[in-house]
Amino acid sequence: MRALRQSVLCFAFAAASAAFAQGPADNDHTLQAMRDEMARAKSRLELQIPKLDKPVRPYYLEYRLLDMDIREISAEYGALVASTHTRNRLMNVGARVGDYKLDSSNFISEDGFRGFIGPSGTVGIDRDYDSLRQDLWIATDQAFKEAVETYSRKQAYLSSLARPSDIDDFSRIKPVQHIEPLVASDWTRRNWEQEARDASSAFRAFPRIYESRVTYYLVFTTEYLLTSEGTEIRANHSYAAIESGLSSLADDGMQVNHFYATYAPRPADLPGADAVRKALNVAGTELMAMRAAQPAPDYTGPVLFEPRASGALLAAVLTPSLSGARPPLAFQPVVEQLMSSLGGRSDWSGKVGSRVLPASVSLVDDPGAKDYQGGLLIGGYAIDEEGVPADKVAVVEDGKLKSLLMSRRPGPDFENSNGHGRSAFLSDARPVMSNLFFSSSEGVSKEDLKKKFLESCRAEKLQYCMVVRQMDNPSLSLLHQDDFSELLASFGGNAATDRLPLVVYKIYPADGHEEIVRGARISGFSPRMLRNIEGIGNDNFVFNYMQNETAGVAGTSLAAFGAAQNGLPASVVAPSLLFEEVEVRGARGEPKHLPLLPEPPMSASVKASL
Amino acid sequence: MKLSNSVCLNRWFLKSAALCAVSFLAPGALLFAAPPDSVAKSSPLVEALKAELDRSMKVYGAQDPAAYFIGYALTDTQRATVSGSNGALLSSDEGRSRWLEVAVRTGSYELDNTHKIDGRQPPGGSPGTTVPIDDDPEVLRRAVWLQTDLQYRSAAEALIKIKTGKEVKVQTEEGATPDFSREKAQVFAGPWASYSLDRKPWEQKVRDYTSYFRKSPAVINSIVTFTAQAQNQMQVTSEGTQLQFGQVRYRLELFIQGKAADGMDINRYYNFDWVNPSDAPDDNAVLAASAQLRKEMEGLVASPLNDPTVGPALLTGRAAAVFFHEVFGHRAEGHRQKDVTEGQTFAKKVDEQIFPSFLTVVDDATQKKLGKEDLLGYYQFDDEGIAAQRVVLVEKGVLKNFEMSRSPLKDFPHSNGHGRRQMGAAPVSRQGNLLVESSKKLTDKELRAKLVELVKQQGKPYGLLIDDIAGGFTFTGRGQPQAFQVEPLVVYKVFADGRPDELVRGVDIVGTPLAALTKIVATGDTPEVFNGYCGAESGYVPVSAASPAILTSELEVQKKQSSTDRPPILPPPAHDIQKGGGQ
Repeated sequence: MRALRQSVLCFAFAAASAAFAQGPADNDHTLQAMRDEMARAKSRLELQIPKLDKPVRPYYLEYRLLDMDIREISAEYGALVASTHTRNRLMNVGARVGDYKLDSSNFISEDGFRGFIGPSGTVGIDRDYDSLRQDLWIATDQAFKEAVETYSRKQAYLSSLARPSDIDDFSRIKPVQHIEPLVASDWTRRNWEQEARDASSAFRAFPRIYESRVTYYLVFTTEYLLTSEGTEIRANHSYAAIESGLSSLADDGMQVNHFYATYAPRPADLPGADAVRKALNVAGTELMAMRAAQPAPDYTGPVLFEPRASGALLAAVLTPSLSGARPPLAFQPVVEQLMSSLGGRSDWSGKVGSRVLPASVSLVDDPGAKDYQGGLLIGGYAIDEEGVPADKVAVVEDGKLKSLLMSRRPGPDFENSNGHGRSAFLSDARPVMSNLFFSSSEGVSKEDLKKKFLESCRAEKLQYCMVVRQMDNPSLSLLHQDDFSELLASFGGNAATDRLPLVVYKIYPADGHEEIVRGARISGFSPRMLRNIEGIGNDNFVFNYMQNETAGVAGTSLAAFGAAQNGLPASVVAPSLLFEEVEVRGARGEPKHLPLLPEPPMSASVKASL
Repeated sequence: MKLSNSVCLNRWFLKSAALCAVSFLAPGALLFAAPPDSVAKSSPLVEALKAELDRSMKVYGAQDPAAYFIGYALTDTQRATVSGSNGALLSSDEGRSRWLEVAVRTGSYELDNTHKIDGRQPPGGSPGTTVPIDDDPEVLRRAVWLQTDLQYRSAAEALIKIKTGKEVKVQTEEGATPDFSREKAQVFAGPWASYSLDRKPWEQKVRDYTSYFRKSPAVINSIVTFTAQAQNQMQVTSEGTQLQFGQVRYRLELFIQGKAADGMDINRYYNFDWVNPSDAPDDNAVLAASAQLRKEMEGLVASPLNDPTVGPALLTGRAAAVFFHEVFGHRAEGHRQKDVTEGQTFAKKVDEQIFPSFLTVVDDATQKKLGKEDLLGYYQFDDEGIAAQRVVLVEKGVLKNFEMSRSPLKDFPHSNGHGRRQMGAAPVSRQGNLLVESSKKLTDKELRAKLVELVKQQGKPYGLLIDDIAGGFTFTGRGQPQAFQVEPLVVYKVFADGRPDELVRGVDIVGTPLAALTKIVATGDTPEVFNGYCGAESGYVPVSAASPAILTSELEVQKKQSSTDRPPILPPPAHDIQKGGGQ
């Protein structure tokens, strides 16, 4: 323990001088303030606890800071609703007490230290030295006290267990120094407000769509990380999104929803207003078709997921399985059970070497990938949120589980991080996907797959089969809290295995014609169903999405997908997938009243401003 | 450092102005008050609201249950916020938003969907929705159309429940009064209020103001926030009211945090409010206030805890103003006399002596200034479209009236323009400018002498001088004791033997209103103003309270609830004399 701390100190020293050499030119004093406050905390922060002969000190400290430059613009029917430009800096200080084997982390306690300021908050945006020292000082103090208190509660709890886990709490890494030059936000010469107006005006042609706000969310960030182990990072990131949730009511009062979302690694990469308007027009047309469609019937039989849907299906089903981290200990067993039933526990844990996917399939998570056949991927990064360089991870090879995604929290199968500890807005890092590639050595053409699909359909003597064209993202399509609660309630006990398709067709094998249906729900789709896939296409498609920040706790379809304001960018590349037997539940829910009055007049194009 | 979960920076449960929406008239707008014929020139947005109102009233007014009242309010808010912390700029933003609220009442003025059964408010429906800031009447009408339907559905459902519930409940006298008062329609169109602002100078100011606090080791965290806000409101109702008015306001808030050795959190706060840009506090004024806060913080973290005690106390003007707001003002809000679950402290006391006869209390929301100070509780129309009024609540110690919204009382059938709310909440009767006037005035010196005299008379070692009150709370519901608790921030012991005053901490003032208010024996000669945002059922609304200092023969203080986490282990970085690590 002692030897380790000394070597860590040396690392920090070396890192400090190395980084300083590049630092001063850009007038950013962030890292210097972090170094100095860290040095003080490392050498002098301690608490004397009664009955312990030695004072308690933190064995690990980390300073994380997120400098954000964000534009958010929303418009509806061609009129601007809001336009904001915000720059702020979030700080979070982490402290660990104990040692790598057993420390103050990974423990959910019902109450603990409640500091008066806390270990995180927004701090000054000047990149100055003095104010940040002051902020880090008090946040370090609070984080340390919190850790001391949690550690003692955790020890008390562990002493009550017959057989505590022998998995470590924190894995060791080689400290990394990576200081990127500061870059100014590139707002390009695009007029984002006008683009939002122009794009959203597409819905003037759809009077029956009640809500259709379009939001542009453009982000540049600089992330800082400094740890007591000697890691020092300053890295630039960006992403951009256009999102729109749509809602309407069918004539029978059933709510129908749709959404549109597109993501890009940089604002400049977003499609132009004309392209967005066209895509919104497609979504609007689909929603109108669903509005007029028959409610989906209950169905069990073959289901074909077109590539636009299969990426989302895999994201929802695999997110909890891919994580190799141990779940946190909970003070109350009921919390652990709850997390488990919500999909918080990996289905693939303990299955290394077993076949989890068809033998022809490999699954790779590659944070270094930038694009796929011309389609931009958004999940990439060089170093993860815990300062670990990102590895390309072959999760599944020839259908067999080889590896899991790891953060610095060890798990039952693997101990070390492979650079997948990610988080949004400085929350706790957890292992999640970046750019996930699902590929098969036996992929067939779209046409052949459809033929096979219709054959199974006929073989089962079904009048029609189901095709899923797009999966739902309830974070975007459900616009109101009560809709969300209603959906959550409708899951019953199947939260972890019910999946949410959005655009679903019946296809009739007799003549091949298609009919859109509304309100379908896929029931009981667990990761196990991916072991036997009837057919796999070669029509790989890039599905970009925002991972819900809380997916690690609740790996449900509800929680898998987030929105740009609170999510973590990810990409899934996957082909069409055909399953032999999927259970589809028909439309459920309470009908609502249609408005008593017809909608007020709306001209096809925006009138000149008044 | 500013924290998401940080305690609120304001007094009286004050909240950021962001969420507070109260209608104000632009300065000078009264002078340009439009003659009736100029109303035709109202904004196209008002015309859009009216068009939708006409259409809605025809259809929803003919339903069963019928809507008998529909009101639309559109609030346009332009706001700039510049905030600094510990010597650096925290944020500097500017934004604009529009919020639409729709009120639909079903039933009749006598009995409608807002009627309380057993003191329970029926569910109110939607708080409203954001609408575009671009002036597109078609898009606005669409939002109004959907919101009206939503509100009608919820109002219809509520009324049916109320009619059923009423059958099984005993009718009280208070409950027999109508649910909504009949009022004359108001028509007014004032000029559009707006500001133009360069945020740059304020960015430097908030840096400078907060770096001053870093010089004190007692100040752990400091935040200074400047806000400029222009708010315009348009209201139309099915009764014919049609209003358009606006107001610009500026605010500067100073906030510092510290911690005593025993773990007690200590906050100091000060705010400046002004209406004309030329009235902005200059650096000297801010520095003086900052120096005072800093001095108090340094004194408080080192000061001893005071024990619970009862005895004479002197409240300075601002502290007295907050005291009146909490202890009396909330109990003079009309709706509290009506609800069966309320304590109704003053409901049956009209024309009775409740204060010493030298005190008169008015709530005058039409008053813009007191002396040189702008009053934050000034407005021209309330949130139910009623013109603000001067209301004499207590005349020479005798209770005369209440702050009334459109929820009438038996002997007070009309609103007096005090129906107020934060955007998204339903209006209830609230305070505006609560002004305490006195005919028994003593100079500061005389007051102090009188305090010492009382202390001696009662055989106590000391009395209390209360210089600042953070706010507090008061129970007005019947389920709890009719008590109040206010949190004094700066308290001195004034000794009978002439020793210098001693700063103490850790006490709350407690008491019951009927007893506490009769113990006032004299007042000072100069009223002082407190401006703040007050939180209650209808959200946060801007209010003022003004009072001269008051001397009371008996005030009870109890031990304050306190945090016990230790003070920071290491000294602040700027005050660390030990070398090694940092600087």
